[in-house]
Amino acid sequence: MKWQMKWSRIIAVLRKEVFHILRDPFTLALALALPLILVLVFGLAIEFNIRELRMAVHDGDRTYQSRGLTEVLGSSGYFKLTNEVSPVAAMGALEGERAKAALIIEKNFGKQLGSEQVARAQVLLDGSDNSTVGLILGYLNGVQKIAEHKFLPEVASSNLEIRTKYLFNGELNSRWFTVPGLLAIVIAILSILLTSLTIAREWENGSMELLLSTPIRPLEIVIGKLVPYLVLGLGAATFVYLLARLGFGVPFRGSHFVLIPGVLLFITAYLTQGLLISVITRRQQLAMQLSMMTGLLPSILLSGFIFPIENMPPFFQVFTSILPAKWFIQISRGTFLSGSGFAELATPFLALFVLNGVLIMLATKNFKKDLEP
Amino acid sequence: MKHCSIEVQSLKKKLGSNQAIDGISAVFAPGVLHGLIGPEGAGKTTLLRLLLGLLRPDEGSVQFISGGQVVDFGTVRPTIAYMPQQQSLYPDLSVSEHLDFFAALYEIPADLYREKRTELLHLTRLQPFQDRPAGQLSGGMYKKLGLMCSLLRSPEILLLDEPTNGVDPISRRELWTLLYRMREQGLLILVATAYMDEAERCGEVYLLNAGRILAQGEPKQLLEAEKVARFDELFLRKESDLGL
Repeated sequence: MKWQMKWSRIIAVLRKEVFHILRDPFTLALALALPLILVLVFGLAIEFNIRELRMAVHDGDRTYQSRGLTEVLGSSGYFKLTNEVSPVAAMGALEGERAKAALIIEKNFGKQLGSEQVARAQVLLDGSDNSTVGLILGYLNGVQKIAEHKFLPEVASSNLEIRTKYLFNGELNSRWFTVPGLLAIVIAILSILLTSLTIAREWENGSMELLLSTPIRPLEIVIGKLVPYLVLGLGAATFVYLLARLGFGVPFRGSHFVLIPGVLLFITAYLTQGLLISVITRRQQLAMQLSMMTGLLPSILLSGFIFPIENMPPFFQVFTSILPAKWFIQISRGTFLSGSGFAELATPFLALFVLNGVLIMLATKNFKKDLEP
Repeated sequence: MKHCSIEVQSLKKKLGSNQAIDGISAVFAPGVLHGLIGPEGAGKTTLLRLLLGLLRPDEGSVQFISGGQVVDFGTVRPTIAYMPQQQSLYPDLSVSEHLDFFAALYEIPADLYREKRTELLHLTRLQPFQDRPAGQLSGGMYKKLGLMCSLLRSPEILLLDEPTNGVDPISRRELWTLLYRMREQGLLILVATAYMDEAERCGEVYLLNAGRILAQGEPKQLLEAEKVARFDELFLRKESDLGL
C-alpha cells in the first residue's frame, strides 16, 4: 500500500468539514459574532484610559516654569487639577479621596531648572488603587517627556509642538494599544476552540473509528480539518483589522508583508494547540475547558494584552514565552504602531516558529492511528 | 487479492482490567457468512477491532492468507470494509454526501463510483432519500447507509458490528438479504450480533462469551449435535457448563 498523501482525500475531508461548519449554527455564530463582540467590548466599553483624573496640586514655586509644568499636566486632558494651599492640604485631598494623585512643586523648582540642576517635583499616588496608578505613571512619563522638551532650551519650539503630540498619542491612547492586541485574542479563541472541538467531535461521534478503518492517513485528516478553520481565522483577522483601521482609526505604520506572515504563524500555532488538546482529550466538553484554560485565559491575562509583561515577576516573564499570543501581540503592535519590520521583530517571529514546531511535533506524536485507549 | 481468509491464533487482549479476548483461535474462510454471536460484553467488537488492526493483540496473531500465502496487512487493509456498531455517520451530512465523501476517501474512479452508487442505492432502496441528512434517517436506513459506505469500494472482507441492532424486523430481513448477495460474490463476511435468532441465518456460527468461543459450527448441525432447538438454549447450557 502506498503511504503517500493524497490531495483528493484531503479535499474530501475539507469539503465535509465546510459542510459541518456551514450547518452548525454554533460554529458559524462563534466565528462571525465573536470578533465583533470582542472588538466592541474591549475597544469601546472597556476604557483603559482614564480621563479627568483629579490631581491636587500645590505649587510652592509660583514661577514661569512651575506654571508651565502644571499647564502641561492640565492641557493633557487626563488630569483635572485643583490648587491646594500647602503640601499638607494636597496630602489631605489624597487621603480624603478627593484626588487620585497629588503634585507638589517645591519652592526653588524654577531656579534649579534655570541653573541646570536637577529640578524636582513630587507626585504622590493613591497606591490602594493599583490599576490607576500604573496608568498615571504611564501618563507621567509622557508628561515628563513633554516637559523636558518644553524647558530644555536647545530644542526649537516649532519642532517641539509636533513631536510632543505624536509621542503623547502613541504612548497613551489605549485603544490604539488594545485593538491590535485584540487581533491576537480573536484568533486565539477561534483557532483553539474550534479546532479542539472538531477532532474531539469525530471521536465522540464514533466517526473516527470509521475514518481510521479507511485508507485515509491521520495527517490528511488533520490538514483537511485545519484548512477551513485557517480560512475562518484569517477571515476573522481581516475583520478585526478592518475594524481597527476604519472603526477605531488605528494607524498602520508597518508593512502588511510582515503582519500577514505573523498572523499565519500565529493561527497555525493555535490551530495546532487546539488539535493537540483534541487528540489528547477526545471529548468535546473537556476539550472546550482545556482550550479556555490553556488558550483563552493566558492569551488575555498573560500575553501582555492587558497587563504588561515587564511588570510581572521574573518567573512569569520567562513563563509567558511559551504563549504564542505574547509573541504575536508584539508583532501586531509593532507593525501597527511602531512600523517595525522583520529586523525588529526577529525574536517574536523566531519564537513563533519554534512554538509551531514543538506543537506540531506533539500533536502528530499523540495522534492515535488506532483505538488503543 | 481474491479469496482471502483470516486466521486467528490464540488471540488475547486486555482492555483495562477486563480480559476482553481470552484465547480465541479460528479460521474465517471466504465465501462464508460468519456469525459472531454473543451477549453484550462477549468480546465481539474487540475481536473485530483486532482483526482490523484498530487494536493490537497482547498475545497471539491475526493473519490474512490468500492462496496458502500469508499476506501483508497493508495489502489486505484496503480490501476490508468495516461498519462500526456505534452510530458513526455524520448526522448533518446527507445520504449522497456520505457516499461522495467515502468514495473520495477510497479513491474510487468517478465512472465506477457512479455505477456502484446507482447499484447500491437500488439495492438498499434508499434512492428517494438521497438528500436526507443521516441524522433524520430511521434506524434501518441509517444502518443501510453505513453498509453502503463500506460496500462502495467493493471489499473482499466485510466486518459488520451489530448491523441489525435497533432495526425493525422488515429492515432486518432486507439487510440480511443484502448480506446474502454479498456472500454470493465470494466475500468473507463477519457479522457480530447479539440476536441469537440471527445465528441460523449464518453459514458458520461462533458462540462467544467472556472473550472465548463456547461453540462453533454450521448452525443446524450445531443445534442437532447439542440436541437443542434454539441458540439461546445452547448458549445458556454452555454458559452453565462453564460455570460448573
